[in-house]
Amino acid sequence: MKPAQFEYVSPSTIDAAIAALVASNGEGKVLAGGQSLLPLLNFRMARPAVLVDLNGIEGLSYIEDRGDRIAIGALARHRELEHSPLIASKLPVMSAAMRHVAHLAIRNRGTIGGSLSHADPAAELPMLATFYEAEISVQGPSGRRTIAAGNFFVDALTNCLEPEEIVVEVEFPVLKQDGWAFEEVARRFGDFALASIAVSVRRGPASLEAARVAVMGVADTPRRLREAEDELVAMALDDTTPDRFAEIVVSLVAPNDDLHASADYRKHLLAQLARRALRTALAMKG
Amino acid sequence: MSSDRRASPSDVVRPRNVGAPIKRTEDPRLLTGNGEYTADRKPDRPLHLAFLRSGQPHARIVRIDAAAARQAPGVVAVFTAEDIADDFKPVVPFSRMPNYYATPILPLASGKVRYVGEAVVAVIATSRYLAEDALDLIDVDYEPLGALARAELALADNAPLLHEAAGTNVLIAREFRKGDVTADLAAATVRVAGRFEMTRKAPLAMEPRSYAAEYDKRRDAITLYTSSNIPGIVRDAVSESLGLSGHCMRVVAPDVGGSFGSKGSLYPEELLICIAARKLRRSVKWTADRLEDVSSSSQAFAEIVDAEMGFDANGIATSLQADVIGDVGAYSIYPWTCGLEPVQVVSFLPGPYKIGSYRGAVRGVATCKPPTGPYRGVGRPISTFVAERLMDLGAAALGIDPLEIRRRNLVRAEEFPYRIASGIIWDKAGFIECLDAAAEAAGYDRLRKEQAEARKQGRLFGIGIASYAELTGIGSRIAVAPGMPINTGSETAKITIDSTGAITAAFGVASHGQGLETTLAQIVADDLGARFEDVRVIQGDSDEVPMSTGTYASRSAVLGGGAAKHASKILREKIKRVASHLLEANADDIEVTEGKAVVLGTDRAVSFKQIAKAVYSDMKTLPVEAREELSATYTYDPVNGTTAAATHIAAVEIDPATCFVRILKFVVAEDCGRIINPMIVDGQVHGGVAQGIGAALFEELIYDEDGQLLTASLVDYMIPSAPEVPVMDVVHVESESAVAGGFRGMGEGGTIGAPAAIANAIADALSPLGIGVSILPMTPERIFRLMEQAQIKRKADE
Repeated sequence: MKPAQFEYVSPSTIDAAIAALVASNGEGKVLAGGQSLLPLLNFRMARPAVLVDLNGIEGLSYIEDRGDRIAIGALARHRELEHSPLIASKLPVMSAAMRHVAHLAIRNRGTIGGSLSHADPAAELPMLATFYEAEISVQGPSGRRTIAAGNFFVDALTNCLEPEEIVVEVEFPVLKQDGWAFEEVARRFGDFALASIAVSVRRGPASLEAARVAVMGVADTPRRLREAEDELVAMALDDTTPDRFAEIVVSLVAPNDDLHASADYRKHLLAQLARRALRTALAMKG
Repeated sequence: MSSDRRASPSDVVRPRNVGAPIKRTEDPRLLTGNGEYTADRKPDRPLHLAFLRSGQPHARIVRIDAAAARQAPGVVAVFTAEDIADDFKPVVPFSRMPNYYATPILPLASGKVRYVGEAVVAVIATSRYLAEDALDLIDVDYEPLGALARAELALADNAPLLHEAAGTNVLIAREFRKGDVTADLAAATVRVAGRFEMTRKAPLAMEPRSYAAEYDKRRDAITLYTSSNIPGIVRDAVSESLGLSGHCMRVVAPDVGGSFGSKGSLYPEELLICIAARKLRRSVKWTADRLEDVSSSSQAFAEIVDAEMGFDANGIATSLQADVIGDVGAYSIYPWTCGLEPVQVVSFLPGPYKIGSYRGAVRGVATCKPPTGPYRGVGRPISTFVAERLMDLGAAALGIDPLEIRRRNLVRAEEFPYRIASGIIWDKAGFIECLDAAAEAAGYDRLRKEQAEARKQGRLFGIGIASYAELTGIGSRIAVAPGMPINTGSETAKITIDSTGAITAAFGVASHGQGLETTLAQIVADDLGARFEDVRVIQGDSDEVPMSTGTYASRSAVLGGGAAKHASKILREKIKRVASHLLEANADDIEVTEGKAVVLGTDRAVSFKQIAKAVYSDMKTLPVEAREELSATYTYDPVNGTTAAATHIAAVEIDPATCFVRILKFVVAEDCGRIINPMIVDGQVHGGVAQGIGAALFEELIYDEDGQLLTASLVDYMIPSAPEVPVMDVVHVESESAVAGGFRGMGEGGTIGAPAAIANAIADALSPLGIGVSILPMTPERIFRLMEQAQIKRKADE
C-alpha cells in the first residue's frame, strides 16, 4: 500500500500554490492536514501527478474576531479550534462539536480547509459550516470568491470548487442565541457520526423568535433543516415540543442503509438526538 | 509509605521468582521503539515483494499477461504459478480424520482463484513502490465460476464446487455421540433450543504479517525471518516443500507484534518468498499492509449452531444436541486443517457440565473467503456462547437463578478426572471455586438487587454469567487439531552456562506478546538457582533446538515451563558436582542459589563464573573427567494436558435511545494453576476479555453476496478501543495442576468467557421486552431491530 509516484511541491504563497495547480493540468491535489488524503493516496484511490503542500504557506492559520463574525484560516488545526477560548465564547456549538472530531492525533494535524474540501457527509466541520451558514473564501487563478456553505457541499465527498481553487478562509457568523446544543452518536468516541444534530434557539415572549437546525450523517451532505426551523418558530412551546420537533426532523431526512447503520436506525437515533438537543437548548439560560 | 508485608527470612536467602509480579524483560526495548520486528531486518540490498491479489471470489484464470510488468522500472522478476511450478512441492494439511479433504497449499493461485484477496502474481522489485507500480500493469482474464458467499448456499445440491477434486464443498464432517439424546430430550422436563451464530472475525494483530527471506549465497541457504508463532513448523514445512535440508533453512520469529492465532499457520506468502529468494539468489522482504492482512490472514469463528438442551425438574442438564455449520473459507490451513475451529465447537460444547447424553455434528463448508484458522479460544468462544445461552434459557424456564443452575451442573471437586459427553477428560480444576469466587467478587446478590431497582425505573440492566473449561498445555496423547500428524505434545529447553558464567536458555516456543522471555527466565532462575537478571531467554529460532512447534493453544507455560524446570534441574546437579570439587564438599551438602553454589550452613561459596572458569578455562583446577559441559537439554511432554477454567460475570446496561451496550462491571475468576507472573496473567486476561468484548459487541467481517469484503479497513471493521474496555476485576483461584510446576495455560480464556457472559447479560437486560440473544456481535443496529420487532409484536398482542 504505497502511493503511486507524484511530484511534491511546497509553495510559500497561495499564488504559487495556485500556479502549481494550474501547471498540473488538473492532475494536482492540495495537501493540508493529510488525514484523509494520505490514506487515499496509499490506497491509490487518488493518483495526483502533483501534490501541492500548503503547510509551508505563512499566515493561513488563524482564528480572528471580526465582531459579529469569526474568521478562521484554512490551515487552522482542529485542535486549535477545540481549544480556542474565542470559539468557546462566540461559536459554542463549534466548540462543543470539535471534541467529536476523530481522535487526538488526527485533530493535531487535520485542518478546517482540508475537512471542508474533503466534504465528508459525516464529518463535523462541514456540518458546522452548514449550521452557521459560514462563508467559505476560495482563491483560484481568477482571484478570490466567496461561497455560502449551503452551496459548497454538492454530494458525498464532493464540493463545488474548481480544480485550481483552494479554500483560504472560513467566516462563521456569530449567532444571536439564548440556547444551543450539539448532539452526536458515533459507534466509538471519535468515529464518524451515525447521526448528529446541532440546534440553536432565540426565545421570544411566547414562542421562539428564531431557530437554527442542522444535521449530518443522514444524507449525502450535511443539511440545514429550514422547514424544521420554521415549524419550531411557529410552534407553541410546551412539554410536547421536543417530541413534535423530533418527528419533524426525522420526517425531513431520508438516510441510506449502509454498513454501519440502517436508515431506520439512523432515523431512530436522529429522533432521540433531536429531542435531547432541543430540550437542552430550551433549558439553557441565555 | 510503609508496608505491612515483610520479607520472611527464607525470602531473603532465596527469593522466589515464580509467583512474583516481575516487570517484563521485553518491555524496555518494545516500549521505546527498540524492538526488532521482521520489517526492521536490513539484509544486504533486499528486494521487495508485492502481490497481485484476486478481485474475483471464484474464477478460472484464463490468461495472465505480465509482459509489461516484467519491463517496468525496478522490476527484477514477476512470478505466476506457472513460473514457479517446479520449485516446490505443495504443502498438504494432512489429517487422519475421516470425511476430510485436505486442500493443497500453493504459493500462488493455480488454475483458479477461490477468494477475493488470494495471491495470483508476485512482483519482485528494488522497492515496494516500484513493485506496486508494476502490479498495475498486469492483466488477468478471469472466467467467473460463481461465488460461494455463505456456507448454507455452498451446501445446496446445485452449488458450484470450490475444490472439484473433493467432490463436495463439505471439507470436513464429524459427529460425536454419547447416550440416547433423543430419549433423554423426550423425557426432559424442560427443553430449550436456539439457532446461534458467531460471525466471522479478524484476529487483527497490531503487526501485520511480515516476512524477510535472507539469502546466503555462499551455501544456498535461507534464513526466513517471519512474524510467526510457529517458526519450527514453518521451517519443517518449507524445508520439505523446497527440498532444503534443515541446516539450509533456518526460521526465526524475532519480535512479533501479536498473532492471536493469525500468525499460527503456514502461509502461501512464506513459501513464495523463500522460492523467490532462492530463484533470484537475493534477499526478499514483504510486509502486509492492513488491507492485505485483514483480507488474507486466517480468520475466526463463522459458525451457525442449532442446539437444544434438556433439563430435569431440578435443573440438571440431561441432554444436549447440536448441529454446527462452519464456514471454513476457501482452504484447509497447514498444519491445523479446516477442522480445527468447527470441530472444536462440538468437542467442547458440553463444557464444564455433567451432561448425560450428547450428539454433536459438524460440517466445515468451503466458501469464497480466506481460510478460518486458529484464533484465541478456538471453537470454545462459540461453544461457550451456545452452552451458556442454553443454561440461561433453562434457568429461566425452570425459574432457577442462573448462578444456581450452573452450580448444580458443574463438575464438582470430588468428581475429577471427569470425562464429558464428547470424550474430553477434565483433570482437577476449580470449576465451582471459580463460580463462587466470581459471584463473590461481582457482589452477585447485590447486583440482582440493583437490577430489580433499575427495572422498576424501566432501565435495561442485565447480568450475565459464563463458565467454561479448556484444555491447555496439551501433551502428545491428545492431538491439538483432530487427526493431525505433527507431534504438538513436547517442547525442548536447552540451558547453557558459557565460559563467562552467563546463562542462556533456548526454547523452541515463540513469544508474540506473552512475555515468555520473562516467565521462562523466572522458572529457570528458581530451578537452576540463578539470579533472574542473569538468565537470557532465546526463543523462536529453529536453529536453537532440534524440533519445536511454537507458541499456540495455551501451551508455552506448561510445555516450555516444564522443559525449563527439568533442564534446570539437570544443570543444577552438574553445577553441584563441579562445586563439590571446588568446595571440597559433598554434592548433597551444596545448595545452588542466586548464581552461587553454597555449602549449606557455611559461608563457603563459588559463583557460576568461578564454576565456568574451572570447567572451561582452567587446565588444573578440575580433573579432566569432572569438566562436564555446563549445559542441559530436556524435551518435556506432559502426555495429557491440563484443564484451565474460569467464570466470567458481566453487568451491562442498554441505553434504549442509542441501543448501545455499556459494560458496568466485568469480573473474571480464573484457575490457571500456579501463577508464574501475576502481572502477566492479569494482562492476558485483560487482553483476552477485550477481544471477547470485540466479538460480543463490535467485530464482524462482512462479505457481500459476491464474496467481496466490505469491512477491509479499520474504519469499517470496528474493534473496541480503550474507552470501550471497562476496568476488570480478575480473581485468581490458584489450584496446582498435575504437570511440572503445577502450571495451566491461560492465554486464551479471556476470549472464551467474555462473549458468552456479555451475551447473557444483554439477554438478561432485554428479557423484560421478551428479547433473546442468538447472534454476536450484538451491535446497536441488531439491538435496535430486536427492540423494534419486540415493539411490533407487543402492539400486535395488545
